[in-house]
Amino acid sequence: MRSEPLVPRNSFGESAPVSTFTIILIVIAIGLAGAVMAYRRSRALVGKDGVKMHSRPTYHASFVACWGIIPALLTLAVWLIVSPIVISTNVSASFPEGVLADSQLTEGLAYGIVESIGTGLQVLPGDERATITDATPVADVTALLRDRGIPTASAATDWMVPLAIQLNSMQIWSRWAMTLVVFVVAVAGAFWAYRQIAPRLRARNNVERIVNGALIAASSIAIMTTVGIVFSMLFETIDFFSRISPAEFFFGTSWEPRFSNVGSSGNAGSFGFIPLLAGTLYIGAVAMLIAVPIGLFAAIYMAEYADNRTRSIVKPLLEVLAGIPTIVYGFFALITVGPFLRDLSAEISGLATGNYVSFIEAQSVLTAGLVMAIMLIPFVSSLSDDIITSVPTSLRDGSLGLGATRSETIKRVILPAALPGIVSALLLTASRAIGETMIVVLAAGVAANLTLNPFEPMTTITVKIVAQLTGDLEFNTPQTLVAFALGMTLFVITLGLNVYALYIVRKYKEQYE
Amino acid sequence: MENIQATLHKGPAVEASRPIKMTSRDVIVHYGAKQALNGITLDIPERQVTALIGPSGCGKSTYLRCLNRMNDTIDSAKVRGQILLDGEDVYAPDIDVVELRARVGMVFQKPNPFPKSIYENVSYGPKIHGLAHNKQELDEIVHTSLRKAGLWREVHDRLDEPGTGLSGGQQQRLCIARAIAVSPEVILMDEPCSALDPIATATVEELIDELRENYTIVIVTHSMQQAARVSQLTAMFHLGDLAEVGPTEKIFSNPDDKRTQDYITGRFG
Repeated sequence: MRSEPLVPRNSFGESAPVSTFTIILIVIAIGLAGAVMAYRRSRALVGKDGVKMHSRPTYHASFVACWGIIPALLTLAVWLIVSPIVISTNVSASFPEGVLADSQLTEGLAYGIVESIGTGLQVLPGDERATITDATPVADVTALLRDRGIPTASAATDWMVPLAIQLNSMQIWSRWAMTLVVFVVAVAGAFWAYRQIAPRLRARNNVERIVNGALIAASSIAIMTTVGIVFSMLFETIDFFSRISPAEFFFGTSWEPRFSNVGSSGNAGSFGFIPLLAGTLYIGAVAMLIAVPIGLFAAIYMAEYADNRTRSIVKPLLEVLAGIPTIVYGFFALITVGPFLRDLSAEISGLATGNYVSFIEAQSVLTAGLVMAIMLIPFVSSLSDDIITSVPTSLRDGSLGLGATRSETIKRVILPAALPGIVSALLLTASRAIGETMIVVLAAGVAANLTLNPFEPMTTITVKIVAQLTGDLEFNTPQTLVAFALGMTLFVITLGLNVYALYIVRKYKEQYE
Repeated sequence: MENIQATLHKGPAVEASRPIKMTSRDVIVHYGAKQALNGITLDIPERQVTALIGPSGCGKSTYLRCLNRMNDTIDSAKVRGQILLDGEDVYAPDIDVVELRARVGMVFQKPNPFPKSIYENVSYGPKIHGLAHNKQELDEIVHTSLRKAGLWREVHDRLDEPGTGLSGGQQQRLCIARAIAVSPEVILMDEPCSALDPIATATVEELIDELRENYTIVIVTHSMQQAARVSQLTAMFHLGDLAEVGPTEKIFSNPDDKRTQDYITGRFG
């Protein structure tokens, strides 16, 4: 919602168009006014010879307010989306024949220049604006605009000036028409709803339906966003696979996408995905191997052993870890853990063989796994703690009442009962580990090795996505598009993990209850 | 009142001069700042059913949980006074709580079978206490316990099915079998029938009456009919005090204490 800049006199109105924000405020005011009137009318009806109203006055008020506000705002939203499309189609259609073919401009680029001239014209003061007509050469216009500090593209040509003026007038016209239509819709909606007020009107049920609809809309936004994300990756992924065969991508063991020069179609390099997948899984596995026991034991301590005082101190402390940005963990890995492990390994090999050579590199799978584990511990412990605490106390009492010790009770009764929940918590944690980027960049490097040695650097899918998309690159090359294929693959992997987690929880839930 | 009297006449006779299994002297319990028991002194006779009755919040469950130190699991609970099991102080520092709870078992208000098979539910106690040396002995303990709990006939062909799949009454008898399996001397029951329908209740009550031959039983109940049907000794609790204790027949026919009289005639509670 951008507010329109002030526009001086023009052929359509004496004053500036109303900003979108103002329109929304006025619509809400219409709705509220309708609500107040509805409230009064409904109260008046109650007073009349003891009529029994179906709904209370507040519901009549909400009913009128909803009818005043919602259709009007929907109209506004649709207009804001549709009108730029209509205008651009119209303006593009009136481009002179053949001009595009003569220049290097595409239609979208030319329209962009027209639009920027139009915006520039709106900023000019009225007297200067009046001097510009359809016949003004573009050089004069750019000179004027430059005086105001507005740059224009060098590719601007004379035929664009009349189109820019036309564009401006269409925009202003559309704006006024929208304002009018939205207000009419708001008043009409509120008026229609106001006329409906009667003792028999089921305003309460109607408001309930509106609430229901609003809730559904909120949750569908979340779902639609996911679908949108998938589609945005899907098309680029398909594009990528039309250039590089899926077999090469999924089974190739070498990752060397060469950055070819723009325009040249040289050797594309190899896009073997295996080293990245291996790195992702290896680093994730090392992290989980360290984080799961520590996190789980911390959770057991907090849920079963710690008294309330200790718990109220320890739990927030552990959760502070979860609030640290992962880039900070990356620093920690880069300047503390990595060098420490390198020096430690040098000491160890020195003590063992007399030769002080560090066998752990500063950037290695181990470093990344270790630091990522620190990041994951609060997730594991916090999720598991909630799950363990939710095991009914009656089971605990039952076991303790039979003379079991606390640890026997935990091992034999509580953990088995909490197992499905814990497994799903671990799978959720694993998908976090797989998606982690910053720690890996700083702790394990960006080299796509395929190795089993945890002391060497490796890298992950997410790191390579960033590497392929950053920099000054042509978009339409396999080197860039591969990022989408990687993203899609990662999405499928984590989706699979999450679905499996849900499946496990559902499968064991009945037994648990 | 009428039907309690009727129940009593059919009920078991009071057996006098039983040896005392558990003794408590001036037991005081605090939950944080709130005092829940104000000095309870009570003797529990061996191989008898002792019923604890009284209105809600009177401290009877709290008292019951003192007998096997289940109150230890509640952080804020503080217990003072003396509780003796066969003359041994239950709260003495050298007492092993785990061993105590094996000797004084417990059945809870809501059936709480573990989410395991029926067999594993019953074998849980014997396993952790090492009561069986091999599979045959363990099988024997499980089968005997299920028989004693009157559940054998219903479940003998599905011991591998989850205990949580049984009906409420069966679950409660499974919990009793689970308690019996560790051969306790005393079984504490905290309103064992409150979550059961009348038919399941009748079965469990019959079971309690049979268990009396081998075990000392203390039962908390809200149903005065139940206390009258199954117990030989009744203790009436009121607001953290022991209002009156005596043979069940006397408590229900001729109570000395005004509060007991009001409670059993339904004037409060």
